[in-house]
Amino acid sequence: MTNAVELHQVRYRASRTFEIGNLDLNVRSGSIYGFLGPNGSGKTTTMRLALGLLRPLSGRITVLGDEIPANAPRVLARVGYVPEQPHLDPTLTVRESLRFQAAFYATWDWPRAEQLLRQFDLEERNTFGRLSKGQKGKLMTLLALAQRPELLVLDEPTDGLDPVVRRDVLSALLDYVSQHQATVFISSHLVHELERICDWIGVMDNGRLITEVPMDRFKNGIKRLRVADAPPTVADAPFVILARERANGRVETWVVRDWEPAMAAYFETVGAALNDVIDLDLEEGFVELLRTFRAPRG
Amino acid sequence: MFDVILYTQWKWSRLIIVLGSLAGFALPIVSVQGAASGDRGALAAGALLQTVQSWGVLYPVLAAALGLLVAIATWAPDHRGRHVHALSLPVARWRYVLLRFASGATLLALPILAVLAGAILATWSATIPVGLRGYALALAARFALAVLVAYAVFFAVSAGTARTAGIILAVIGSVILLQIVASVANVDLDVFGELQVAVLNWPGPLAIFTGRWMLIDV
Repeated sequence: MTNAVELHQVRYRASRTFEIGNLDLNVRSGSIYGFLGPNGSGKTTTMRLALGLLRPLSGRITVLGDEIPANAPRVLARVGYVPEQPHLDPTLTVRESLRFQAAFYATWDWPRAEQLLRQFDLEERNTFGRLSKGQKGKLMTLLALAQRPELLVLDEPTDGLDPVVRRDVLSALLDYVSQHQATVFISSHLVHELERICDWIGVMDNGRLITEVPMDRFKNGIKRLRVADAPPTVADAPFVILARERANGRVETWVVRDWEPAMAAYFETVGAALNDVIDLDLEEGFVELLRTFRAPRG
Repeated sequence: MFDVILYTQWKWSRLIIVLGSLAGFALPIVSVQGAASGDRGALAAGALLQTVQSWGVLYPVLAAALGLLVAIATWAPDHRGRHVHALSLPVARWRYVLLRFASGATLLALPILAVLAGAILATWSATIPVGLRGYALALAARFALAVLVAYAVFFAVSAGTARTAGIILAVIGSVILLQIVASVANVDLDVFGELQVAVLNWPGPLAIFTGRWMLIDV
């Protein structure tokens, strides 16, 4: 098995105005897959489809080798899920929440749970409803990790948390992943955070997956070029031009995808000169990718 | 698994259960309060039956209220969390629903037992005129059935989404509209009467709530 999560031609209609259309998505086993996209792009819906919380109109979903939603209970026993909104019963104390969760998972690891309880400094007699946002985030992470999952599905697990809590949560996650070789499917608005930890990246917008590539290819493949004497129209370029803007005088700024250093020779063939190649970080690349995807096509 | 579901259910509905149990225990005792004296004749027997019958209307009311409130308490936290937690647990949906139903039904045993205890105490302490008998067990069994019917109905309704509630309201609205239209058009159609017969008369599903609820009877 090479993919922990596979979505093949999945369609789902969330409302009259939003649908996931023929989605193909693959999360490699053992990878940390960062799922990027603006608000409302369909990240949470996709994750819920993958876990069998929603039923697709058509298509095929396989998680850890089992069909979803047909075998959802069997799959969910091996998956740790941290949803976008903490959803536990607000009247249960931290200790009661742990006991409740433990009853459903044969793999529940009490020593690990106790250790994380101390590490996260959670007061076990506090009710979930009285916890701060950071404490809720820590408890959700604790619950997901203590069940010793093979796959972690994390829907913006650090959203709204302060930097200290975020670091604690991420460090616990990374510790777990390094020890258990688990697969992580994580969405976040914090692009820099994903850039640090992910080895694969998927970008979603408006219910469609724009790209799904290894992180290094994504980061290295998107460049900002300074080009002098560029022709008005460019044909047969070996890279994809995402954006093209006049900078000053004869110089233009191009944002390109799938760039490789050997492609510099292309500019001479069209009578232009490549002055500079600038690296973009993940956030800039992400923004440029979205901008191109959303630009009206002529 | 069931123990943690039962525990959460207890946490959510303990106030309802405790108050319902107190009311269930007190009701039979209060209903025979005037029957403690030992010199009752035929007329007193009639008066006793009347008193018992008048208090008897409260049993189905208590049963329905308990069923409704426990059913609402059963689903309220899941509704609040939009069922995300429940759905993400590694358990089949039908099994989760069954566990939730069973936990509520288990807790409802307490007010049922309270009615039984109250009814036994009431018939034991009262002086029952000749020709009359106490039906403590039968009353408690009937109360148990009514509580479970009410709980099952409201559990099913509460389990639904806002869409389900909309459909139920639409059906009720349509029946009312049909009755109004029939009345205006002078059509001899008594939808409510027909419904009442179908639902509340034997063997209708809610027939258990109607009739006489007598702790002491002939």
